[in-house]
Amino acid sequence: MSTTVWTVQGMTCQHCVTAVTEEVSLIPGVTAVAVELESGQVTVTADSEPTAEAVAAAIDEAGYSLVTA
Amino acid sequence: MTTPTTGTGTARSAGAGLGVDEALLDLHLTGMTCASCANRIEKKLNKVPGVVATVNYATETATVRAPAGVSFDDLVTVVENTGYGVRLPDTEAVDDPDELGRRWRISAVLSVPVVLTSMVMPLQFVGWQWMAFLLTTIVVTWGAAPFHRSAWVNARHGTTSMDTLVSIGVLAAYLWSSVAVLFTSAGALGMTMQMSWLPKADEAGVHPDLYFESAAVVTTFLLLGRWLEHRAKARSGAALRALLDLAPTTAWVRTPAGDTEIPAAHVKVGDLVVVKPGERIATDGVVVDGESAVDASMLTGESVPVEVGPGDEVAGGTVVQDGLLVLRATRVGADTALARITALVTAAQSGKAPVQRLADRVSAVFVPVVLVIALLTLLGWGLTTGWQQGFTAAVAVLVIACPCALGLATPTALLVGTGRGAGMGILVRGPEVLESTRRVDTVVLDKTGTITTGVMTVLRRRGDDDAILLAGAIESGSSHPVARALTEYAESHGRLPELGSHEAVRGSGVSGRVDQHDVRVGRPEWIGVGTSHHWSTDVAQWRHDGMTVVAVEVDGTLRAVLAIADEVRGSSAAAIAQLRALGIEPVMVTGDATPVAENVAAAVGITDVFADARPEDKVAIVARLQSQGRVVAVIGDGINDAAALAAADLGIAMGSGTDVAIEAADITLLRDDLAAAADAVRLSRATLRTIKQNLAWAFGYNIAAIPLAAAGLLTPIVAGLAMAFSSVSVVANSLRLRRFR
Repeated sequence: MSTTVWTVQGMTCQHCVTAVTEEVSLIPGVTAVAVELESGQVTVTADSEPTAEAVAAAIDEAGYSLVTA
Repeated sequence: MTTPTTGTGTARSAGAGLGVDEALLDLHLTGMTCASCANRIEKKLNKVPGVVATVNYATETATVRAPAGVSFDDLVTVVENTGYGVRLPDTEAVDDPDELGRRWRISAVLSVPVVLTSMVMPLQFVGWQWMAFLLTTIVVTWGAAPFHRSAWVNARHGTTSMDTLVSIGVLAAYLWSSVAVLFTSAGALGMTMQMSWLPKADEAGVHPDLYFESAAVVTTFLLLGRWLEHRAKARSGAALRALLDLAPTTAWVRTPAGDTEIPAAHVKVGDLVVVKPGERIATDGVVVDGESAVDASMLTGESVPVEVGPGDEVAGGTVVQDGLLVLRATRVGADTALARITALVTAAQSGKAPVQRLADRVSAVFVPVVLVIALLTLLGWGLTTGWQQGFTAAVAVLVIACPCALGLATPTALLVGTGRGAGMGILVRGPEVLESTRRVDTVVLDKTGTITTGVMTVLRRRGDDDAILLAGAIESGSSHPVARALTEYAESHGRLPELGSHEAVRGSGVSGRVDQHDVRVGRPEWIGVGTSHHWSTDVAQWRHDGMTVVAVEVDGTLRAVLAIADEVRGSSAAAIAQLRALGIEPVMVTGDATPVAENVAAAVGITDVFADARPEDKVAIVARLQSQGRVVAVIGDGINDAAALAAADLGIAMGSGTDVAIEAADITLLRDDLAAAADAVRLSRATLRTIKQNLAWAFGYNIAAIPLAAAGLLTPIVAGLAMAFSSVSVVANSLRLRRFR
């Protein structure tokens, strides 16, 4: 069980939140996704920590981009 | 409407660039709330193999190019799985002008007997109220359906619009009257309704008032307004189609087996492409063989054709003028310069959120206020006198709150405004831009074809007429704009001698024999205008001013030098002064080099100049000005201006401009004169002012009547008069725009 926090840029409304949640949830092993619109923070809970590539790909799929720290 | 073919989509005839078995579909999307939604849908649609889709947030449409294997239903599934909807033609029909027109006409016909019997007592035949009930039922349920639907959609999102007001008012009047007819003495045969200024005392033998005519008339008027407006609206997305049409559909590719014509979409990077004189280049590429002048004005805005030879780059969509070129394709498909401009226009259009209509903004405040007043009226009467009286008065408030002039306030002003504009050579494409509620304070002007005529003209010369005539003759065989300018100029000085043998020296000029003289016309360096020659200072000065200089040599002697440039329109300086007087700061942006740009800017009195601007730079400049809080109008004529025109708060195209620019703009100036731009700004201001006055009139009478209603003093005659007066005031006020000059 692991929890990671990522920051996504470009989200402007609740639709965007839905889109990101949906795509990130599809990553194998992910059990819960919480997205905060204002800050762009996405909290991912998973059985095994997903790779940054997998998360970036999912965010990209949703139409946004990951802010790399 | 076009005939639906595949599924229920609106299929268009196969346009340019479509492969075999490809279909171009328009999907009307619902549920998008921001530009990100558009990106997301676009992304999902493009995931489908073979599908090329663009989604425009502003117009809520997806333009999809789909291969034969993909059906309309497949696309709808993709959109719905993404969390959005596709409006099907049966519900879309509500916005269809023909459908609105039909609803209006039928509602109008049904309303006439309702109004006549309600207002004129002698016509109240036995059972008239039942006829009014029946006819109004049709008007209120079927005729006003678009308003109810829109109000419902808004309500689900927790917002209100003008439609909410209409829906509530119409339903209140209708339901109240229906209940009265069905369940009270008002339904008794032989009932007549007395027209009185004051409500009758609540005693036996008096029936509740009926407001059927109010419901019917409000619906009819609003449908009329809506229909007028939709009829005037132009189709959107045409700019993008015009851009796509610029790309040739086929290209000649050189193969070992010889030249073959293949679809332009199939050209690969590295292919050798042959382009004949007069043809459009299909992809971006590098010249491998051949020399020619290439007209790239639509992309770069540069007015003089570019001479290209082996090693030079050319862009797709530009036109080869006088030579045959063999190119090696360097960028194809979505990577070409033309495709990038298309993408810019798309981005500019989808980045613009639809402007909230003035009437809707007023309604957004008005509706909750009215609802509160109605509630207070209900409570006030209910807790003091009685609930029945409270209910009567509350309904009266809702009935009177919806002004039927509201439906006419915006469309009549827009119609008269656009009509007046047409008379002044100002073609307004999207009438709603006249309503744009923010004031334009900055105007970005393109140079070529906007401030200048876009046509090369001889502006200065040194030397004698005979030499000019010889030069004109020798250039008469060429279609190069500089040559044409010279020939035209010479023709205005006399009859041109017969042209003998002549030969073009690429990149330098032309030489030949005319009238027994050896004549050479071309670049001063080629002719040999040394720095010692007394014309050399003129030549240097003209060049400094950004003009093209041509020298004429006859029998080995330098006889004339001419300066040729794109001439500044005579009216430009005055027009720019006018714009300034309107409080609008002019900024010039051009693809031309700095000296030319600054010279022209100085001539018309502009101090802010951006030269060497590519199409994406123009958009960036507009965006930067907007981010500084300025409201920007863009005036341009070229394809290179299209994205900036679309991104602007107000896009104005010159009538002589390219179709793409005209399609991307909100307003087209039919007079090729910048003064028309100042007129356009003034007209849009006057129109907006009229709309505001109209809304004040529309709401004014009814607001005045609300206290009467709340006091329980509303009668059908008061409601009717308020409607009649406000409508007449609004129409009369709009008609005043006809005298605008």
